[in-house]
Amino acid sequence: MDAAEVSLTAPATSADVPTSEVEQVERALIDASTRLPVLMFYTSAIAWLLIGTLLAGFVSFKLHAPDLLGNISYLTWGRVRPAHMNIMVYGWASMAGMGTAIWLMARLSRTVLRQPLLLVAGGAFWNLGVLLGVGGIMAGDSSGYQWLEFPPYAAIVLFVAYSLIMSWAVLMFRFRRGEQIYITQWYLIGAFLWFPWLYSAAQLMLFAVPVQGVMQAAVNAWFVNNLLFLWFGAIALGTAYYMIPKVIGRPVHSYQLATIGFWTYALFSSWTGMQRLIDGPFPAWMITASIAATILTIIPVATVGLNHHMTMVGNFQLMRYSPTLRFTVFGAMSYTVFSGVGVLISLRSMARYLHFTQVNVAYSHLGLYAFYSMIMFGSMYYIVPRLVGREWRYGSLIKLHFWTAVYGIGLMTVMLVAGGITQGSEINDPTMAFSESIQSVMPYMRGRSLAGMLMTVAHFVFAFHFGLMLFGMGRTASVPTFLNPMEADETEVQL
Amino acid sequence: MKGLKPLFFGLFVTFAFSWLGLALVPNFQIGHLDPQSDEDGTDVYPLPQSGMAERGRKVYTGNGCFYCHSQQVRPDTDSSDIDRKWGERRSAPRDYIFNRPVLLGKMRMGPDLANLGKRAPAEDQAAPSAAASPGAPAPAASPAAAKPAAAAPVAPAGPAPATAPNPDGSPPPYSAAWHHQHLYAPRSLNLDSNMPAYRFLYEERRISGQRSADALTLKGEDAPTTGWEVVPTYEAKCLVAYLMSLEQSHPLKEVKSAAPLPVPGKAPTK
Repeated sequence: MDAAEVSLTAPATSADVPTSEVEQVERALIDASTRLPVLMFYTSAIAWLLIGTLLAGFVSFKLHAPDLLGNISYLTWGRVRPAHMNIMVYGWASMAGMGTAIWLMARLSRTVLRQPLLLVAGGAFWNLGVLLGVGGIMAGDSSGYQWLEFPPYAAIVLFVAYSLIMSWAVLMFRFRRGEQIYITQWYLIGAFLWFPWLYSAAQLMLFAVPVQGVMQAAVNAWFVNNLLFLWFGAIALGTAYYMIPKVIGRPVHSYQLATIGFWTYALFSSWTGMQRLIDGPFPAWMITASIAATILTIIPVATVGLNHHMTMVGNFQLMRYSPTLRFTVFGAMSYTVFSGVGVLISLRSMARYLHFTQVNVAYSHLGLYAFYSMIMFGSMYYIVPRLVGREWRYGSLIKLHFWTAVYGIGLMTVMLVAGGITQGSEINDPTMAFSESIQSVMPYMRGRSLAGMLMTVAHFVFAFHFGLMLFGMGRTASVPTFLNPMEADETEVQL
Repeated sequence: MKGLKPLFFGLFVTFAFSWLGLALVPNFQIGHLDPQSDEDGTDVYPLPQSGMAERGRKVYTGNGCFYCHSQQVRPDTDSSDIDRKWGERRSAPRDYIFNRPVLLGKMRMGPDLANLGKRAPAEDQAAPSAAASPGAPAPAASPAAAKPAAAAPVAPAGPAPATAPNPDGSPPPYSAAWHHQHLYAPRSLNLDSNMPAYRFLYEERRISGQRSADALTLKGEDAPTTGWEVVPTYEAKCLVAYLMSLEQSHPLKEVKSAAPLPVPGKAPTK
């Protein structure tokens, strides 16, 4: 694709203001058409987030208090953990991402969402699939593959639901107006197509025509990393490319960087994953290839990071006011941290110590939470007021959400990384009894539980605030809710 | 349709490239392995597991044991797995050809179990191995590994009552009875263990007539009230059969064994 085709400006930034009345009405119509499905996806996502958070707390506590509610088979640690992970992946993250992606797609394609009820049906089916899957896991029916623990009957429901949802997003794109495809649309179309390919390839090779022995683990690792990058990562980066320019009211810094960033991202991050199998029973070239690909992801990280940074330059003070910008920029920065940690822990010299330790858990949380979820929160702060016609009620609650989430994920990362390094070096010291390595990681596990409590606060605060919006209890005001009082000369900026 | 076709094409190519490279090509390389055997077709390894052990694998999977226990031995150049006596050689793709799902594990909040079955005391092995892994060359096990805890100075095998096998009348480490007690009350055998108890796999029932042969011998607060006994359910028995079937000690032609081992291919199975 020719770089020149990427539109330089984020569509309808405030640079275009004053927009004609026609365009404003048009945008309002588009927003109205997406109201029902997007709010439905968001509501489900946040409900799953709360359930997943409570389960996460349970998982974390049980690691240092193993007898907690241990006699109930449904609540044994080895069932609650996959239930938590799959709720977060398919319940929270996927549904939030699809909600945001649908809205962005309608806005960027400048077309009204047709037949929103079918999308609602798709969302309902998706919820049903997650519910079935989680029920299956808790009943002891887990399949044993990471992020694919849902028993096949739930996977089928998910897939049917997804086809409904995806065809609508792609249809919108078909009916788009205007010649130009904004960079966000690339990422979203990518995510919407990659997900079904990935999911069906994995289902096919693990359940329909299962591959032999260790190849299952390879396919699983391939799936997990690609889901992280090509589904969640692509949605998050696409969203950041929309939100940052939109809020500060200035076009993306460089379309060339955006193009390079996109294709190198697609190419290199899709080859990562096998580094998680380091020293396992696999040909060494597979692992080496993924380590090399992981190192090469520095290129998209640098280009995307530089692009966002150059767009932001001179406007960082806006993070003081705009909730959307603050969450989104934090997420975009976490993408750099996440990738940096990914490179470090994939190197053989490090991996030999860090394999099989809590560092892997830290890595997943950096990706799915610090990077992805924070950008999703940011997009929700932007989109929800436009759907319900009210502004967020309390700036203070948004601030509380932000800081508890940031301190929570920060503390969790520190605890898991430090704990993992301790654990790893002790596992690799054969003069130390194995149980020593578990005992030394326990203090860090308690610290992680504390971090989890902070994040629980964050999520309940956010859910409460979202509930207020949903029931029409937001503020009726013409200015958005700021985190801090705005000085007079800056109020024009559209936040 | 300006720009759309190249976009779709690019998306598909990047995806297909990674699938081809990381899933399809490796599948050609290691996805169609056969068990190995020596020239006259005997001494076949590995063999499929028995029905009970296969069912035990489902219990193991369904209860998420693999989130804390790996089942792979890394090479001694890169790790201390072999020094810890978790195995005599690194794991190889051929060890897993009958495993579905394959449970390599990503985390070690508990010890590795790749050779758990091999740690069972010799006299006890006869009973479960009939059900578990007929191909396991039980007598070939080097004495040091077969009785791991007793001799080794640093409790290499994990949470077992390392130095004294039965000071308090608990069953010999890694025997079937030991596994049952460990699953029912992990901290009765190892105070430091953070393994959850799996009591829901056991049944507490009133003793009618004679005490059942497979009832657990429990002491202290774990013990049932008098007149009652704790017996394993069928699921628990399957799980233990599976645990005791885990073994990768058979030499493989493609892997160099680190430890002094019986001459490859000459393991006196019969």
